[in-house]
Amino acid sequence: MIARMVLNGRAREVEVRASQTLLEVLRDTLGIFDVKEGCDEGVCGVCTVLLDGRPASSCLVLAAGVRGRAVVTLRGLERDGGLHPLQDAFVRHGAVQCGFCTPGMLLTALAFLEREPRPDREAIRAALEGNLCRCTGYTKIVDAISAYVREANGDG
Amino acid sequence: MADAIATREALRIVGHAVPRHDARDKVAAATAYAADWALPGMLHAAVLRSPYPSARIVKLSYARAAAIEGVAVVLTAKDVPRNTLATDVPGQTSAVGPLRATLSVLAEDRVRHQGEPVALVAAETLEQAHAALEAIEVEYERTPGVFIPEAALAAGAPQVHAAGNLLAQWRIARGDVAAGFARAAVVVEGEYTTQLVDAAYLEPESGVAWIDGDGVITIRVSTQVIEHFRDVAEVLRVEQNRVRVIGTYLGGGFGGKEDVTVEIYLGLLALKTGRPVKMVWTRAESLLARAKRHPYRMRYRTGALATGEIVAQEIDLLADAGAYAYLSALVLLYSTVTAAGPYRVPAVRAEARVAYTNNPPTSAMRGFGAMQTVFGYESQMDRVARALGLDPVEVRRVNALRRGDTLPVGQVIETHVALPELAERAWAALGPPTLPRAPHVRVGRGLACNFQPYGRIVWLHDWSSAWIGFEMDGSLVVRCGVPDVGGGQASSLCQIAAEVLGVSLARVSIHIADSALTPLAGTTTASRQLYMSGNAVLKAARELAAQILAVAATLLRADADGLELTDDAVVARDGRSLALPEVLRECARVGVPRSHLAVYHAPAGEPVDLATGSGKVFPDYTFGAHAAEVEVDTETGRVRILRYAAAHDVGRAINPQSVEGQIQGGAVQGLGYGLMEEVVVEDGINLTTSFATYLIPTAADVPDVEAVVVESGEGLGPFNARGIGEPPIGPPAAAVANAIADAARVRVTRLPITAERVARALGLFDD
Amino acid sequence: MHPFEYAAPETLEDALALLHEHRDEAKVLAGGQSLVPLLNYRLARPRVVVDINGLPLDGVRADDGRLRLGALVRHHQLEESDTIARHCPVLREAARLIGNVRVRTLGTLGGSLAHADPAAELPAVMTALDARLTVASASGRRSIAARDFVTGPLTTALAPDEIVTEVEVSTSPARGFAVEEFARRAGDFGLVVVVALVRVDRGGRVADARLALGGVADRPVRAAAAEEALRGQEPTAAVLAGAAEIARDRLDPPSDAFASGPYRRLLAGVLGRRALARAVAGAIQSEGAEAR
Ligand SMILES: Cc1cc2nc3c(=O)[nH]c(=O)nc-3n(C[C@H](O)[C@H](O)[C@H](O)COP(=O)(O)OP(=O)(O)OC[C@H]3O[C@@H](n4cnc5c(N)ncnc54)[C@H](O)[C@@H]3O)c2cc1C
Ligand code: FES
Ligand code: FES
Repeated sequence: MIARMVLNGRAREVEVRASQTLLEVLRDTLGIFDVKEGCDEGVCGVCTVLLDGRPASSCLVLAAGVRGRAVVTLRGLERDGGLHPLQDAFVRHGAVQCGFCTPGMLLTALAFLEREPRPDREAIRAALEGNLCRCTGYTKIVDAISAYVREANGDG
Repeated sequence: MADAIATREALRIVGHAVPRHDARDKVAAATAYAADWALPGMLHAAVLRSPYPSARIVKLSYARAAAIEGVAVVLTAKDVPRNTLATDVPGQTSAVGPLRATLSVLAEDRVRHQGEPVALVAAETLEQAHAALEAIEVEYERTPGVFIPEAALAAGAPQVHAAGNLLAQWRIARGDVAAGFARAAVVVEGEYTTQLVDAAYLEPESGVAWIDGDGVITIRVSTQVIEHFRDVAEVLRVEQNRVRVIGTYLGGGFGGKEDVTVEIYLGLLALKTGRPVKMVWTRAESLLARAKRHPYRMRYRTGALATGEIVAQEIDLLADAGAYAYLSALVLLYSTVTAAGPYRVPAVRAEARVAYTNNPPTSAMRGFGAMQTVFGYESQMDRVARALGLDPVEVRRVNALRRGDTLPVGQVIETHVALPELAERAWAALGPPTLPRAPHVRVGRGLACNFQPYGRIVWLHDWSSAWIGFEMDGSLVVRCGVPDVGGGQASSLCQIAAEVLGVSLARVSIHIADSALTPLAGTTTASRQLYMSGNAVLKAARELAAQILAVAATLLRADADGLELTDDAVVARDGRSLALPEVLRECARVGVPRSHLAVYHAPAGEPVDLATGSGKVFPDYTFGAHAAEVEVDTETGRVRILRYAAAHDVGRAINPQSVEGQIQGGAVQGLGYGLMEEVVVEDGINLTTSFATYLIPTAADVPDVEAVVVESGEGLGPFNARGIGEPPIGPPAAAVANAIADAARVRVTRLPITAERVARALGLFDD
Repeated sequence: MHPFEYAAPETLEDALALLHEHRDEAKVLAGGQSLVPLLNYRLARPRVVVDINGLPLDGVRADDGRLRLGALVRHHQLEESDTIARHCPVLREAARLIGNVRVRTLGTLGGSLAHADPAAELPAVMTALDARLTVASASGRRSIAARDFVTGPLTTALAPDEIVTEVEVSTSPARGFAVEEFARRAGDFGLVVVVALVRVDRGGRVADARLALGGVADRPVRAAAAEEALRGQEPTAAVLAGAAEIARDRLDPPSDAFASGPYRRLLAGVLGRRALARAVAGAIQSEGAEAR
């Protein structure tokens, strides 16, 4: 069957099986490896995509059920081929170790900051509760997001 | 070694928090992890696993499975050319003798734990592979199992292996323990229980294999040990030079990718089908099948003088190996050597055993046996301090090891021990005390120190090698077989090479973890990579620098000793300089190589007899102290960590940002271990095979970790660095237990310290 | 996943016809946050998946003292909708406690009720609210009280060919509310969840109190005896604690690998008291506001 979606700004039609998740189709059919597979049960967050602007677990969405909605993966953030300033903040602040959680963290953080542009550290932590990271202990991830927030708000 | 610190300013790249080259790729999702790989015509593979912890395989037939559309092959034990994987455990475990740990690739007539591999399938799609697994008919006859180490060692217990259930035993006896206890002002006794834990990296075990040119079986896999190419060759009965392992950047390892995971299955399937094959474990499979961290039962008896000085300690350790040996004997050795803590204890008797059971197998995991004991010795230390009314920092200062002291195993500590400073700084970093926010909560603080070996056991004769070469344009290539588990292993090597050879970091490119193309560097385990491969790169870089400077010296008619490689040039004392490409062209003209391969050998030694305390076991140790401030809800038992500080002496921080990251990440793993993580196994059946039931901390469960990086300038690594990969996971559980004792006057001695356990200790409910 | 056929009907009639045809072999798919994990691990193997996301069941309507919520109202709508916050703010507080942000993006009210996890927040809230569910099948519609809807762990009064279409609650004003939950880890299902709704009269006495608990039995339970004990009382700390004890003492929660029954019972008592205290404080405040 055909699954329709607007993937990173481009309308796509993809041949899928009914039993395939969006995650499988993104990775195995479309070769979009910026979504990762970590648990297939909605807990870890490495498969995060934005579905009509909200974070969703692509492992828990049937591809056929996307029904033309907008799907954004990490590469959808690129600005003129360069890094998004939040990506840059992750690099500068050492928020990346193994990097497996990173794409999901970035998308979740950005969707959150859309709604809440000036969060404190505690609010940032609460917003990230569905994205596990086994390497960093989260401190530097929160550092990076806080720094980005300060810069984006012109607070130095 | 104060001069190491003095020259810090002179270093351009080492010692600076430079962003890692791999981080840029990772934020852009440009890193191809093992599962992010596909080849045309690739098959998908899956493993059939035993549902039972102890059973005989009476019948196995797969005709129906093989007939399913799309199924390329089904393999069972009889299809494996050599079905045994063996690891020698060098050295000798007392009572049990030398050990050869063996494991069947696929079960033959018996399964010894739930999840034991029984058959392999490869099919055109994963769905077909799963359908085939279900169609394999296995008839099991269940046999009695044993699930508790004590029970396994009792007479008449079901035998997991023919040689008996005692897998390994180590003993230490030093000084007159009875006399020590007789002198003691207080004697504190405690029994501590630690739990089965999973590495729980976010990237499941995964890889792709294919047959490359010249028949080389090539396996691109997420592994901490590319040297497993030899194990694959053994099993396939091919020559070792026909197997190549390409290690990817890992999505986390923590010891869980130290033993083989998918590589042997992939090699077998690629060989049998001639096609590329991919295998990715599901989370459930990873949590079920992956070897885990050993649970321990630890009994401590500690005697101290009124000053807090420990005079005697009796320790009894019993660990659960699960159904197969893996690295259990060595893990137990680490526990034994560290059991008395980073303290001068004149009289110690320790007995440590590890038993086979029909539980999930246990093996390496961050901390490798030296982390479980921290919960024992630091809970004891806190009890001693409380019994004597001493300050927690003070009691550690009184007892801390010093350079020149001898550990109970007879190893002399040769480098600086910063323990008192670490304890003070971690404690001070907590800042002014937090006031309880409500009448039903209490706030308290706890401290815990630790020491963790870095580098492998000296009688393993560890070495690493690295190759460095200049291209004609002055850019630099580093080749080193190091797997990068996410800790910045590769990036630190670039820093070292760039520092010595005077190029900017951006001009270094590194190739890692390819058993055919990069010089072998050994495993990324045991906190050894920076130490070992860092030294190999340092050696290669220095020797290459000397080669090049000699050529430059003739060009400049100067003395090579007076020349320096810096800013992509060779600079003489008098200020004259030559751009690097000029020198490199001259090297080419006169036939001086522009590259160099170096091998670094760690200090080696002979196996020691622990019981007689005869000498060196590990190259050196990293010391640490963590302090926690917690809040305890006295109505529910809930524990919240309010503040956390972790101090380690890293000798020299090659990249302070990476060091902080290791400390923070390790501390949070340790907090997970202390507060929530547990693989729950009932009669051999794992009840926590999902991320919804095996809990690891989220960002909302832990506070910021303040990393206190102390640089004593002493360590055996490059630029006097010490290993920092494992040490930070040691203290958190004990620091939290001690803080709870401070806050609520109850001591929890079983991990994880769940709210329910605290509530029970507080007497809030009856069972 | 085990292969299945997928249908995405656009009208309720079509959906019901499909369910009627396939009955036990069909599975309704709403937010997928409970069903898809089961499909991924091959623990659920329907022959047909009927995706109801295309049906017009996501309405939120408030009129004459009733709030009507379509079965496809997502958890994030409960969190963010002003209409819902105005008419039934306890739903916002409860929805915030559900899973993680991604679960709240897609998970639905109807799915949460139909899935009937004993520790889930929304079934407990609906039990406290005395909500009524509208359920449709090819042969007609019926209405079921929330407290009769869940019949056991993960089982409900729904027949295989029925769909929950709407949930209706009364929007009684001036009520204090609180949802207290104890989860082992941030964002997980609670071990115990307690919902308290309290109305006080002019004199500050309890006019109406409702207490519902999740995670303490095979389904959400109402603490009727505790509610009774509160009625007409002045809500002092001692009275509230007494009521919470009454609720607790009537429970015999199950033990599992993650918490013992006795510990769950302890939590029920403590959370019950805290929820009542917060609900009373809110009730007094809103009664005061209303009186002015
Ligand atoms: C990581 C994670 C954490 C979670 N944490 C929580 C939590 O803390 N609290 C909580 O309450 N829930 C939690 N959930 C579950 C979540 O709330 C689900 O969304 C909810 O339980 C089911 O809603 P759904 O719309 O996703 O239903 P689906 O998954 O689509 O369906 C669930 C079941 O209900 C049936 N069904 C769905 N809609 C209808 C309908 N309208 N009529 C008849 N049958 C229907 C389906 O056939 C299926 O059997 C969590 C889920 C995940 C993945
Ligand atoms: S893979 Fe989707 S949440 Fe883990
Ligand atoms: S960096 Fe490894 S999981 Fe987050």
